[in-house]
Amino acid sequence: MNAPLSRPLTQRITSPLRRLSPPALALILAILLFLLGGVINPNFVSIASATNVIRLAAFLGIIAAGQTLVIISGGEGIDLSAGTVVTLSAILVFRITNGDDAMVPVGLAVALAVGAAIGFINGAGVMLVGIPPLVMTLGMAGVVSGTILIVTQGNLIGKTPEVMPRLISDPLLFGVPGVVFFWFLLGGAMWLLLERSGYGRRLFAIGVNRTAARLSGVRVQRMVIITFALSGMLSALGGFMLLGFSQTVFLNLGDTYLFPSIAAVVVGGTLLSGGKGSYWGTMSGALVLTLIDSLLTAVRARVPEIGEAYKLIILGVTLVILLSFYGRQRNVRG
Amino acid sequence: MAISLSARHITKRYGGVLALSDGNLEVRSGEVVALMGANGSGKSTLSKIITGVVAPNQGQLLIDGDETRFTHPRMARALGITAVYQELSLIPDMTVAENIWLRHEPRFLGFSLNPFEMRARTSALLALFKGAVSAALEPGTQVKSLSPGERQIVEILKALSTNPRLIILDEATASLDNQQVGKLFELVKAWKADGMAVVIVSHRMDEILRIADRASVLRNGKTVYDEQLANTDEHTLISQMVGETVVQELKTLGSSKEPTERAIRLEMQDVAARTLRGISLTLRDGELLGLGGLQGQGQTDLLLAIFGALPHTGVIQIEGQPVNFRHPSDAMQHAVAFVPGDRGTEGLLLSRSILDNFLLPSWRRFGFPLRMDEARTVAKHTAKDLSVVMAELDAPVSSLSGGNAQKVVIGKWLMREPKLLLLNDPTKGVDVGAKGEFYALLNRLRAAGTAILFYSSDDEELLSLCDRVLVLHDGRQAAELHGEALTRAHLVAASMGTEG
Amino acid sequence: MTGLVLRRIISRHSYLFALLLLVVAVLVNLRLQDNLLEVNVISRNFRNFLPLIVLVVGQSVVIIGGGIDLSAGAIVTLGNAILATLITSESSSGQILLAILLTCGAGVLAGVVNGLCVAYLRLQPIVTTYATSFIFTGVALLILPRPGGDMAAAVRSLYRSTPGGAPFTLWMVFTLIAIWLVVRSTRYGQFLFATGGKSESAYFTGIPVNFVKFSTYLWSGLFAALAALALTVNTGTGSPRSGDLLTLNSVVAVVLGGTRLSGGQGGVIGSILGVVILGLIANIISFASVDSWAQTLVSALIIIFALIGPGLVRLARKAVAR
Repeated sequence: MNAPLSRPLTQRITSPLRRLSPPALALILAILLFLLGGVINPNFVSIASATNVIRLAAFLGIIAAGQTLVIISGGEGIDLSAGTVVTLSAILVFRITNGDDAMVPVGLAVALAVGAAIGFINGAGVMLVGIPPLVMTLGMAGVVSGTILIVTQGNLIGKTPEVMPRLISDPLLFGVPGVVFFWFLLGGAMWLLLERSGYGRRLFAIGVNRTAARLSGVRVQRMVIITFALSGMLSALGGFMLLGFSQTVFLNLGDTYLFPSIAAVVVGGTLLSGGKGSYWGTMSGALVLTLIDSLLTAVRARVPEIGEAYKLIILGVTLVILLSFYGRQRNVRG
Repeated sequence: MAISLSARHITKRYGGVLALSDGNLEVRSGEVVALMGANGSGKSTLSKIITGVVAPNQGQLLIDGDETRFTHPRMARALGITAVYQELSLIPDMTVAENIWLRHEPRFLGFSLNPFEMRARTSALLALFKGAVSAALEPGTQVKSLSPGERQIVEILKALSTNPRLIILDEATASLDNQQVGKLFELVKAWKADGMAVVIVSHRMDEILRIADRASVLRNGKTVYDEQLANTDEHTLISQMVGETVVQELKTLGSSKEPTERAIRLEMQDVAARTLRGISLTLRDGELLGLGGLQGQGQTDLLLAIFGALPHTGVIQIEGQPVNFRHPSDAMQHAVAFVPGDRGTEGLLLSRSILDNFLLPSWRRFGFPLRMDEARTVAKHTAKDLSVVMAELDAPVSSLSGGNAQKVVIGKWLMREPKLLLLNDPTKGVDVGAKGEFYALLNRLRAAGTAILFYSSDDEELLSLCDRVLVLHDGRQAAELHGEALTRAHLVAASMGTEG
Repeated sequence: MTGLVLRRIISRHSYLFALLLLVVAVLVNLRLQDNLLEVNVISRNFRNFLPLIVLVVGQSVVIIGGGIDLSAGAIVTLGNAILATLITSESSSGQILLAILLTCGAGVLAGVVNGLCVAYLRLQPIVTTYATSFIFTGVALLILPRPGGDMAAAVRSLYRSTPGGAPFTLWMVFTLIAIWLVVRSTRYGQFLFATGGKSESAYFTGIPVNFVKFSTYLWSGLFAALAALALTVNTGTGSPRSGDLLTLNSVVAVVLGGTRLSGGQGGVIGSILGVVILGLIANIISFASVDSWAQTLVSALIIIFALIGPGLVRLARKAVAR
C-alpha cells in the first residue's frame, strides 16, 4: 500500500547482499576495508598489520561478548556499565598482582567475581525492582566510577606482571598473540553457549517473547539476572586482557570501549530488540569497527590536515550506513 | 446516509499465496450481512480491501455505483466506511474520550482541543451501553484499566463516532459478555433502521442467526454462497464453509465417554486467585472436565493458578500430595501442562523455528552440548503424530496456518507426556477442520488416562466433549452439570448466574 | 472511588514524584546554604540551569514520542561552535540575530538527519543518535577547533537581567512551559502521545506515525540549538566538548521527572523539575563539603535512588498487597 521511503535502484543493488547473513556480510565488509587500507598505504596489507588489527579487535570483541548476551535477552537489554567494569577490573588486577606473576590467577578470580557481582546487581535492579536496563546500568556505571575514585583517591598504584603481556599481547605462537587464540576459543565457547545449550535456547526465547517463555517453564527472572552477571564477568575478563596490552591503568581505560561494544553487536546483525543474533556477528562487527578506526588513523598519517574532526564525521556516517543495512526495525504496518 | 457497496471478483495475492481468487460482496443500506468462512477462506482479506487497508490485485469495488480505488484507510473512512477490529486501535495510556476522538477531536477555534465537548459527546456514546458496563467506564478512565469487553466497546464507539454509513464488525463480539452482546445487537438494529449498512464477520453461528439478514460464505478464497438467512439454515451454512458435512462428526466424537473409576489426579479446595474467588473441585485421570460460563469469570485464572503462573490461596493437591507451585517450571515437574488460548502472545515464539517452539520446555532433556539429532527426531515424531503440515522443522513457526500453529503449541507439551493437561480456550480462531482433529486428539489422551481441564468459550464444544462441566460465575462455581443436566439451556442459565 | 480518582490524578500528572523530590532537595539545600532563596542566588542558579532546561524540552518530546536523542549534547556543541565563531563583542544586533537564526537552522538540520534515520529508515534510536553525535561533534570541531570566542556584551547583560523582579532566565522557563502546554492542547499533542504510547494503534487510527516521529527529532534539534544559545551566552565562549555531559544529564532529568523511556506519557514540566533537582544535588554535594574523591559516587548514588524511587515504591506496594 504505502511503500516505505526507499529508492528502488539502491534496493536492487543491495538485495542480493541482504540475503547473506549479517555476520558474513560484516566479515566481507571487514575484508574490503582491509584492502581499502592497502590502497591508502601499501604497507597496510601485510600479515603483521592484519595480526595487529585482529589483536586490537580481540579486546573489543571480548568486551562485547557480554553485551551480546544482554542484548539478545531482550526487554530493552543493554549494559552501559561495561566500560566502567573494564576499568575497575584492570585496576583491581593491577593492584592485586602488583607485578607478581604468581598472583595473576588470584587477581583474575577477584576481577571476575567483582564483575559478576556488579552484573548481578544490574540484573536484580532490572528484574526485581523493575528499572529499565538503560537507566539501571547507566546508574551503575556512575556508582562504579565513583567507587573507583573513592577507593583509589586518584592513586593508581600497582604493576603489571610480566607474564600477562607475554601471554596476552606479545606474539605467542607463529607470531600471533595469545589474546587472538583466546578470542577464537571464546568464539567457540559462545557458540556452544548460545546454540548448543539449554541456557542459550532459553535466552533467545526470552528475547523473543517473555510471556510465552514463562508459560513454557523458563525462569525469566533467573535468566536475566544470570545474563547480566555473565556480562559483568565478561567485561571484567576484557579488562584483564586489556591490562595485558596497555600494561598500565588510567581512570577511563574502559570508556572508549563502551559504545563500540554496542556498535559491534548491532553491526554483527544482533537485533537491539532481542531474540536474534550471534557472537560470530559481534566478532565480525568488532573487526569492522577496529578496521574503520585503523583506516582513519592511516588516512590521517597520509593526510595530516584531516584532523580529529573528519575522523569523527566519517566514523559516524559509516556507522549510520552500516545500520541502515540491518539496524532496521519492523515496519509499523507489520 | 444511504450507501451501496459492491465488491466484484476481487483477487488478492500475497507473495506466492493467493488469498482471494474470487471475492464478492454486496451490501446495501439498512441490511446486516454476515461474512462467513473458515480461517484462510479470505474473509479478513476481503474486509481489509473494503476498508482500504489493503489494495486488490484485480476486481472492482463500487461505492454508490462509482468505481473506487482506495490507497489508504483514510479514503475509505472519508466515504463513511469504518471497521471495528479486536482492540487494534486503542492507546492504553490514553483515556476513553481521548481514544474515541483521536484524530477528529472537537476543537476550540480549529486549534486547541475542547475537553468539555469531548467529555459530553463521549458520555452520550457511553450511554448507549448503559447497564452492560461497570461504573468504571467513564470518559476520563484510562483504557488500560478496562476489561477486554469494555475496551472492545470503546473500539465500537470509536468507529461510531465517525458517523459511518457502513460499519464492519470483525469478530467484534469475541470479548463481550452476553449482556454486552445484547446491547450491541440492539444498537445494530437501530443503525439498520437509520439506514446504516452493517457487515458482521464472525465465527459464532448463534450470533449470526440472531442478527444477520443475509449470509455470504467464502471458501478457499472464493465466494461460494450468498443467501437470505430466512431461506437457509445452520447446517447448510456450515457445509458451505467447510465443503463437506463435518457437523455430524463433531456430534459423534464426544460420545465416547465411559466413566471409569480412576485415580484422583487433581484436588482443589477453596482456591482463589485474582478474579477467581473460591473454587473446589476434583479431577480424575482420564476425565475431561469442562469449565464454562461467560468470559472473565475466573476460568483462565483458575488454570493459571494450577499451573503456578499466578499466586493463589487455598489448597491444591496433585495425586493426593499438597503442592505449592510458584512458577510454571514447578508445575511441569509434576507432569502438568498448560495450553494458552492466545497462541501468538502466549504460546509461541513467532520468529523462532518450529523445532525451537516444540522443544522450548524440554531442552534440559538433551544434555550439554545439546544432542541436536535426538532433539530433531523427537520433534519430527511429535509433528507426525499430530499431522502438522509444515515445510521443514527449521522454518519459522510464523509460516504455519492457525490450526497447525496450535498443533505446535499442543505438541510441545504432549512430548512431555503430561498427566494433567490444562487448556485455556485453545480452539479460538481455529477452523472447523482443525477443530475436528483436535477433538479426536483430546479423546485419545483421555483414553490413555490423561486428566484434562478444558476451558472453552464455545458452548457447543463443552457440551459435546465433556463428561462434566463446571460453570463459573463471578469467580465461583455456579453449577456443576453432568449427565442429563448437561444441556445448552442449563449451561446458559448457570452462566448468567441463575440456577437452571 | 477516591482511590481510583487519586490514581488517575497521579498517572495524569507524572511529575508529582519529582515535585516531592524537589521539595526534599530544596529543604536539604536550604539547610546547607541559607541564602538559597534570595533573588540573586536563584538568578545565578537558573542561569546555569537554563541550557539543560531548554535541552530537556526537546529531549522530552522525543522520548514521549517513543524515541531518544543521544546526539542532543553534540548538537549543543555544534550550536555553541557556530555562535562562538559568528558573534563577537563587536557584532551588530543584525549580525547577532542572523547568527542565532543560522544556529537554529543547523539544529533543525541535525534534527532532520536524526529524524530521517529513525523515522523513515527505521533505524534504532539509541545507536543511531549516538552515531550521529559523532558526526555533529566532528562538524563542530571543524568550525571551532579550539576554544575561543567572545560573546557580545549586550546579549550577556540581557541574560543576567531581572525584568519585573524575577530573573530573565526564570521568565524563559515559564515561556517554555507555556509553549509546552499549548502544544499539549493541540491535535498534534495527542498524536505525539498516541505515537509513543502504541504506534500500531496510532497507525490504524490514521495518524501519520512516521511523520510524528520525524517531527520530534526536529524539536530536539531546534531546542538543542536554543540550549546552545543559552550556554554560549552564559559561559561567554565556545568549547569543543561543551555538550558531552549534557546528553546524559538530559536523559536522567527526563526520567527523574517521571517520563518513562518507553514513551506515551509524561511531560516537559517534570523534566524541568528534574533539571532543577540535579542542579540542587550538585549544590548540596559541594556545600556539604563532601570529600572531592567521594563526590562522583555520592552524586551517582543519590541519582540512582531518585531514579529507582518509583520502582521501589511499586515493589513495596506489591509486597504489602500479598
